[in-house]
Amino acid sequence: MTKLGLAISLDRCIGCQTCANACKMQNSVPMGMQWNRVVTEGCDIMDGAHGTYPDLSRTYLPIACQHCENPACLKVCPTGATYKDEMGRVEINYDNCIGCRMCMAACPYNARSFNWEDPVHDPDFNYGDKDVPVRVKGVAEKCTLCKERTDRGDEPMCVKCCPTKARTFGDLDDPKSAISQLIREKHAYVLLEDKGTKPQVHYFD
Amino acid sequence: MRLLTKNKLLTGVLAVLSVAGVGAWIYQLMGGLAVTGMSNANSWGLYIALFMFFVGLSAGGLIVASSASVFHIEKYKQVAMPAIILSTVCICCAGAFVLIDLGGIQRIWHLFASPNLASPLVWDICVITLYLVINVLYLRFMHRGAEHAVAVLSRFALPTAVLVHSVTAWIFGLQIAKEGWFSAIMAPIFVASAMDSGLALLLIVLVALNAAGVFETPKRLIASLAGLLATCIAIDGFLIFCEALTMGYPGAAGAETLAVMVSGPTAPFFWAEVVGGLAVPFLILVFAKNRERTGLVVGASVLVVAGVLCKRLWLLLTAFVIPNIVGAPGVLSGAWMMAGSYAPTAVEVLIVLGVPSLGALAFMALGSKLLAPAGAEERASAPAAAELDLEAQTA
Repeated sequence: MTKLGLAISLDRCIGCQTCANACKMQNSVPMGMQWNRVVTEGCDIMDGAHGTYPDLSRTYLPIACQHCENPACLKVCPTGATYKDEMGRVEINYDNCIGCRMCMAACPYNARSFNWEDPVHDPDFNYGDKDVPVRVKGVAEKCTLCKERTDRGDEPMCVKCCPTKARTFGDLDDPKSAISQLIREKHAYVLLEDKGTKPQVHYFD
Repeated sequence: MRLLTKNKLLTGVLAVLSVAGVGAWIYQLMGGLAVTGMSNANSWGLYIALFMFFVGLSAGGLIVASSASVFHIEKYKQVAMPAIILSTVCICCAGAFVLIDLGGIQRIWHLFASPNLASPLVWDICVITLYLVINVLYLRFMHRGAEHAVAVLSRFALPTAVLVHSVTAWIFGLQIAKEGWFSAIMAPIFVASAMDSGLALLLIVLVALNAAGVFETPKRLIASLAGLLATCIAIDGFLIFCEALTMGYPGAAGAETLAVMVSGPTAPFFWAEVVGGLAVPFLILVFAKNRERTGLVVGASVLVVAGVLCKRLWLLLTAFVIPNIVGAPGVLSGAWMMAGSYAPTAVEVLIVLGVPSLGALAFMALGSKLLAPAGAEERASAPAAAELDLEAQTA
């Protein structure tokens, strides 16, 4: 079995948002939405700091769908529009989505965005990969782990574009893969482990 | 249609509100849910709160009517007819709110073509459908005066009524993502508040039907139902206290959510319910003398219904206030903002007023047909209904 995942080095992340923009371009993500985002930890503005002067620090946390092994969103989806594919990715069949937003309530990571209106693109065309399906008003969407690229054997766009090589993509089921070795050696952890969703996106310092 | 034609002003107002609601819904279908105040951060709003509220309101009727048969409480049998009509109308309103909340209602057939049986929403749709069927059968059997059929059906109606509230609670209570919802007490709380709000609405309707001269309920029975209401309020209050204590005591994540509830954005709804919806009506109804006074019973019932509406709002919205991961993609609103807020728009308000208005019209129409002091012809075909009327008049 293949179980695709990501390992992200928080030590290397410089908060440049290149991955977030690369994702938006690749996947035609409409205005007002992001599938991937670099959060500045501990404060409510972008590129702020946490702590009290002069003891300040700034850390970044890139976050998107965690492609959980035990996905809370999948269980609650009434039509089975959300599914776990044979590569271990959590995907959405947009044709089956009835827009009940049960998945958005169930996801502990708030990874999903909803098309509240007809998607607005600026510039006004689908600027993404030609294979990426177009989403319509009334469906949920989120990171697909660049399904269209990874199906072709490429890396996800966020991994390819990261200038500091903070992101590693690979098969978690293969103990010899670079990602599996990194996770072992760096004692990588997952977000909100106590929720039991077993994310396939790992982080390390 | 007697109830509709006799109260022309009320009928007119309800009709206008219904039409406005339908218009607003069509507008929402065209523009998408963007015309509501909901956002990625606060992905459910007034519609889902009202869905919970109406599922609850529907309870009182069916539980009173079916327990009359199951537990042989003869006196409750008298009000079974208006109770079941009320229950039927309310469950239709609840179903309507789920459909209105869907972003892609045109794709709803997938729900039947490829249902995911692990989804609490699928359970809820099944149970609500079953519940509606039972209500309609109940009405039919009672109208025909088929005593035995009613008695058999009530054995299924009571557990289904409990189940419909539990399953609605599980839509929320099974979500580990939301600190404010994830709790085993959610189903008991839903059943308790369904009982008190449903019973309170039933009392209001019975008194209104009395005033309209359509259906007479003996004063003793009103007082007895009010006593049952007081008990339900106490149970509801107890369960809420258990939940709040468990959330707050460890001083951990739950305490943060509790703080949102008791002193944060949803606090006005929380305190309105605890004081206005639980404490005050309980203190009124706990005294037998007050239960004899119809005015006080109606006043307390209105407070209970309003209180439970407030409860639906704090229960739903509190969970959205603190995201697990601040600034995650799904809490994005606007270009760089980190969190969202929620306030219903005019479209939402119009729809939310329209659905119950349509429900009230349906109640008046059904009530005119089924509760009418039957004409000679109907009397012959529905001896039980006639008997029921006689009983009500003599009591």
